[in-house]
Amino acid sequence: MANVTAATEAGPTPALRRRPGPGREAIYAYLTLLPVLLVVAAFSLYPILYAAYLSLHKELLTDPGDHHFVGFGNYADVFHSFYLVDSVTSTLVFVLMSVPAVMVFGLLVALLLNQAFAGAGILRVAVLLPWALPPVVSGIIWRWILNDDYGVLNSILRQLSIVHYAIPWLSNPQLARVALVFAQVWHEGPLAAIFLLAGLRAIPAETYGAARVDGAGWWAIFRHITLPLLRAPLLLVLIYETIVAAVTFDLVYIMTGGGPANATALVSWFAYTEVFKFVNLGNGSALAFLIAAALLVIILGYLRALRVESNR
Amino acid sequence: MKDLENLTAELAGGRLSRREFVQRVVGLGLSSTAAFALMEACGQGSQSSGSIQLSFVTWSYGVSTIQDNIKKFQSSHKNVQIQFQDFAWTNYHDTMVARFTGKTPTDICYSSDHWLSEWAAARWITPLSSGFSDLTSYKSDYFPYVLQGMTYQGKLYGIPYYADTWAFLYNQDHLQRAGISTPPQTWEELTQQALEIKSKGIANYPVLLLFSQSDPGSIEVWESMVFSRQDGHLFDDNLNPVFNRAGSAAARVIDWIRDAMNNARIMDPASLTSEEIPVVKAMASGAHTFTILETYNQAELNKSGSGPFAGKFKMAPMPGETHNTVGYVRFYAVTDQLTRRPPDVQKAADQFLQYFGGKVNGTFSPVVVRWAVENGLGFGWKSLWDDQQVRTAFSQWGDPDMLRRNQELARIKEGLTKYFPDWDVFTRAELQKAYLGQTSTQAALDAMAEKWKSLKQGNS
Repeated sequence: MANVTAATEAGPTPALRRRPGPGREAIYAYLTLLPVLLVVAAFSLYPILYAAYLSLHKELLTDPGDHHFVGFGNYADVFHSFYLVDSVTSTLVFVLMSVPAVMVFGLLVALLLNQAFAGAGILRVAVLLPWALPPVVSGIIWRWILNDDYGVLNSILRQLSIVHYAIPWLSNPQLARVALVFAQVWHEGPLAAIFLLAGLRAIPAETYGAARVDGAGWWAIFRHITLPLLRAPLLLVLIYETIVAAVTFDLVYIMTGGGPANATALVSWFAYTEVFKFVNLGNGSALAFLIAAALLVIILGYLRALRVESNR
Repeated sequence: MKDLENLTAELAGGRLSRREFVQRVVGLGLSSTAAFALMEACGQGSQSSGSIQLSFVTWSYGVSTIQDNIKKFQSSHKNVQIQFQDFAWTNYHDTMVARFTGKTPTDICYSSDHWLSEWAAARWITPLSSGFSDLTSYKSDYFPYVLQGMTYQGKLYGIPYYADTWAFLYNQDHLQRAGISTPPQTWEELTQQALEIKSKGIANYPVLLLFSQSDPGSIEVWESMVFSRQDGHLFDDNLNPVFNRAGSAAARVIDWIRDAMNNARIMDPASLTSEEIPVVKAMASGAHTFTILETYNQAELNKSGSGPFAGKFKMAPMPGETHNTVGYVRFYAVTDQLTRRPPDVQKAADQFLQYFGGKVNGTFSPVVVRWAVENGLGFGWKSLWDDQQVRTAFSQWGDPDMLRRNQELARIKEGLTKYFPDWDVFTRAELQKAYLGQTSTQAALDAMAEKWKSLKQGNS
């Protein structure tokens, strides 16, 4: 112990004084990160690169001897496919309906949960439950609720004499789209609510107090204080929910199978269909890259719009 | 000695691994040779060693029966251990695509006539002639549609697990209450009877059909309806589409469905999202009168406790001029992976296939008979109809002569090529658009024909 103290007081020993240079530090840092990078590369980078390779080659599983380079031929196939226009339209409709609905629902719930009332703590936990359920389970629940023949919703409506015959929730193309949006809001809304609630909690109480002293009503407070200060969490939720909605697959798979008449067949559904139904890995990979590229453009657009808004 | 008894009991009970058993027996002072001999005497050596391991993949139907069959096979073939996995029917194709592409070990699996071309072209499964030639000797005893459904480019790829037909089923109680004595012989007659039943308030939608876009059975129901009509063909001998010709059987079928759903309102719109099990449940509840289902579902509907109308579900020939219907075969297929395994493994697989789908000592294997007797599954063998046990079992829920007649009227689906799955997916949506009135019958059929031609050209 005395030796240690002495060494400390006398400064570093000669060996310790030879501090590693920046090169060594960098090597040490990279070596430390290497295991993680390898894992990321194995599970993220490699699949992406391999998918890129597949998207540029003929990869039709029923033609196992032919894997020639086709350039952007698979991308051209996707652009000329029977499903692209309809599925992109369906996806846009779904995103435009579900994302605002999720955000409004999330905001209203967050505002409610931000109030002090008995049982608020339990409610804050309970409200997350739909989000905690796997989307497949949500899909099954909603499929049973909305079943045309023996779903509980039709049963209740009939018992209340609101309708006399079952409403074809999932067999009518328009209703099936709405049903899918409803299920999406039910599943995703709670997470949006929790994100926004965290944002609300971060707004200083003094700000509200000052506004009230100045005579601001609830609408003025909401419009001029709450909303502007929630901009960051709102953008986060907007980006996240747009991505989630644009690549929604589980709910479609379970609730409608893309039907009726492809009304709910979103573009992600066809990425799956290309690979698993048409066994065309080349086209499926090309479509997946196109979806990713489109999402990137949308997200950059969101960020740019926000920056313009901030600079105004 | 007491310790030794305890150890053997633990081994037999599966509470001790073979390695632990040997270590602890040696610890008691016995030689390792003695330990191994003791283990063999306990019967654990042959059972769990499973020196030959076969991977067997099925869809999730009758899983407990399959497991019991495996147990019985293993008890008579102690050197073989079956590694069994099952997946949901509606996801089975996609799961197997992922499995084959990922080269997950799979030796024997269920397959179906509508995937055969795709799986064989992808070289995921192999013809029986490559090492399993004994299994090809039963061809002459199969119904024609069964043989066609397991044959690709002249080679036989499987042995039947079961082979059934799509059958027209009706609720006799509903007909009696409506004062109808005989089931409909034509589609027009079906409309009249359904209107009668509807007008008497017996069923709001007397017809429910399995037309879910996600159910592979939907195309089979539609093809059954086409086959039952005069000139009920989809393609000519060179696989050129004939279904889009003016007045074709396919056009008449679509027109009938449109009318039934949108004008006469005798067909439940829920048909467009109804898969097999929901159709069975809805029929069992008495909500509908007429449907088209796989024959074995008549057994399901009529079994005691299935619902208030158990025993009332009858089968009639498919309405239409020809009464033809679709017959299909689900079969045991041998994977390409198995052909690269050692000869003793292939021999074990051959024994397994004989036990599960063929004959043992010249008579039908207990598994073949069991599926028919216990589950009412149709079979591919003509001579199995001579089995009194089978006839007796079938007569408990149906009419054996009617069932056999339907098999004789059955035809394999048309267009079974390696690009059929692509066309099938496209067609299911086009048909629904036509049913809903989003597009005309002719426009839907023309789109289906164009799709077929482009696929055919792309694969030529």
